[in-house]
Amino acid sequence: MSIKNIAALVSVGRHPVSGEARHCRNDSLAMTLGLALTSHLNATETNTVSFKVLHAGNANNTALKDYLALGASHIDMIDVAAESLIIDALAANLTNTDLILTGSRAENGLDSGMLPYQLAEKLGFSLVANALAIQQTTDGLTGGLEVLQFLPKGKRRSVTVQLPAVIVVHPLAPVELRHAYARQVTGTINQQASPLTHATPQEKTLKWQTETILRKPIKLKARENKSGHARMLSATVSENKGGAVVIEGNSVEKAQVILGYLREHRLINF
Amino acid sequence: MTEHHNIKRINPRRAYEIMTNGVKRITLGLNSDYVAHEVSLHQTSNKPLRSPKKAEKRVLVIAHSERGTLDDHAKQCLAAAAILADAETAVVALVLGELQEDLSNAGVDEVLVMDTLDYQTFQPDIELAFVKNIITSLQPSRIFMPDNLIGDGDLGRRLIASQPEKLAATHVIEINNAHIANYQLGGNAIALASFPYIVLLAPDAADTSLPFSASALAIDPLTANQQMRHAQTPSYASLGMQTIDAAKIALEEADFIVSAGNGVSNVQTLQTLAAALDAAVGASRVAVDDGKFSRDKQIGATGKTVSASTYFAIGISGALQHLQGIKDCRHVIAINRDHSAAIVKRANLSLIGDAEEIMQALISAIAEAKITAITDVKLATQEAA
Ligand SMILES: Cc1cc2nc3c(=O)[nH]c(=O)nc-3n(C[C@H](O)[C@H](O)[C@H](O)COP(=O)(O)OP(=O)(O)OC[C@H]3O[C@@H](n4cnc5c(N)ncnc54)[C@H](O)[C@@H]3O)c2cc1C
Ligand SMILES: Nc1ncnc2c1ncn2[C@@H]1O[C@H](COP(=O)(O)O)[C@@H](O)[C@H]1O
Repeated sequence: MSIKNIAALVSVGRHPVSGEARHCRNDSLAMTLGLALTSHLNATETNTVSFKVLHAGNANNTALKDYLALGASHIDMIDVAAESLIIDALAANLTNTDLILTGSRAENGLDSGMLPYQLAEKLGFSLVANALAIQQTTDGLTGGLEVLQFLPKGKRRSVTVQLPAVIVVHPLAPVELRHAYARQVTGTINQQASPLTHATPQEKTLKWQTETILRKPIKLKARENKSGHARMLSATVSENKGGAVVIEGNSVEKAQVILGYLREHRLINF
Repeated sequence: MTEHHNIKRINPRRAYEIMTNGVKRITLGLNSDYVAHEVSLHQTSNKPLRSPKKAEKRVLVIAHSERGTLDDHAKQCLAAAAILADAETAVVALVLGELQEDLSNAGVDEVLVMDTLDYQTFQPDIELAFVKNIITSLQPSRIFMPDNLIGDGDLGRRLIASQPEKLAATHVIEINNAHIANYQLGGNAIALASFPYIVLLAPDAADTSLPFSASALAIDPLTANQQMRHAQTPSYASLGMQTIDAAKIALEEADFIVSAGNGVSNVQTLQTLAAALDAAVGASRVAVDDGKFSRDKQIGATGKTVSASTYFAIGISGALQHLQGIKDCRHVIAINRDHSAAIVKRANLSLIGDAEEIMQALISAIAEAKITAITDVKLATQEAA
């Protein structure tokens, strides 16, 4: 299966200081990756690949213009009446898509990073998260996508995934965002009413209560209600912190102690 | 022992324990005649047992291991589960990937290990099917997972999406028996909700030091293996892992850091050592101020916070501002002339002596070890041929 339709999902971001609506950087990365892949495929493949940028939400959002400036020539905007309708509205619009690109976390709501997963579940698509780069697999048989994934500590992993798929782009994806005012002027936003007026039997959601003041979270600690003896014991246990100390011996022996430690904990492989 | 006189006798062989640093410690109030039981490096438990008498309920903690151990973030999830569990609730750890450490001090009552589900292999559909089977058989009242990038954040979200009828929360930064909380609106608001069924916990939401230990009983992995067969054919495949050259990687991301302080006179030796260990190079503020390293190498309160598995501190005194930057490092090895330096208390292993001499000796030892490793491989392939 070759890629024919690509979509990028964009949400409305928020300026960290002023709180003003703007593009969401994560989503811009996803959109830019999608644009690059589309033009690459259109230059190398015989069939034409279509690309669309999609947002579900409130029609009067000026922040969407940022995505035009960042390279989208056209944005499809689904007007949804309530937040609970977003997933269904997007899913209804994306059934014929082969590849959906999203950011990793929104900035203007619950920011749970759940939307791509819920969408993939609803559409029955595969999903790969933490993507840094994507390309079509070279061997036509597997008919999928090759994704380079971010893993911590300098590790990366290459994986393949069957299409149709949702790809969640990692914030460290090496993508350069270019802002051009001219594109913002020429680009268009096409507004369409959502066919859905009320949600399918609602899935349960948590009731969140937002606090007015931003405070530091309180760390969960075990409460100590113990006898004096037990307290003494646990005090000696924590006193025990600090590891082995090697004072005796020459440098060569000390070097061997270090190697031994590194090997014992499998921190080296020689 | 019978007493012949009314003189109070002191048993010359009173009960003692050998602590990890080799010092004998006599515990007053312990009455046995002669107890010399060794406290091993990995198990320092004379804490009371938390384990429930009769486990009516279970909470499940799911996490991937790395190199046979669970990282601090996963341990925080275990601690949170254990702290919040009541007397009738058992904490069950489901470890994906091999496990070579004892989890009794992490508050775990039962451990289930599935070593084939290592985080390095991308098999999310198999993992999800497996985890759902375990959930069906254990019927946990709550599920905790670290919201991390080694697979648990991803698996957790798949799990949440696959059962929309259950309540769940991600990026949880605050947790207690009454509520959970996370950041919303792009980090501009803290939001509270009542405790859901699945919690994906952000790092540092719970303290791992527990006043109790637990039994950490291993559950037969065979049952788990049998359950594995039900997984469908995967639509994912792994092509392999890559590791970015240590010299090029950002310090925050590095897994092995060799770090220099004021006690390093020869920067070249340190660079050679770092290259031999395939490690990134860091430095204390004094070493940076001296112009020996660029500012972006500084680790500490006003420099970078690193989370390498191995932090090799050479000629670094261990000032508080420096230690702040390495609080997430798991293995700290120190070389210092002064055995009373603060870094020695933080380090898992300290070598007391001259930095230059020990570095030189270590460079030679590494070169030798690598040659032996290569000849071993050659011999093995020759034999096989
Ligand atoms: C506001 C503030 C912010 C700061 N932020 C940071 C920060 O971000 N990062 C940071 O690192 N510091 C920071 N500092 C500085 C910090 O307090 C210490 O001064 C600094 O970390 C000390 O660096 P050092 O350990 O390399 O040097 P020293 O304190 O001089 O220690 C050198 C160590 O090397 C040992 N030594 C000497 N010669 C040898 C030898 N030949 N062989 C073996 N060992 C030897 C000594 O015994 C000693 O323990 C900050 C300070 C302040 C006030
Ligand atoms: N209203 C929306 N319209 C389109 N895409 C969205 C919307 N909300 C979220 N997304 C996408 O889903 C990703 C994750 O969002 P979230 O799950 O809300 O944190 C974002 O980075 C976007 O790519």
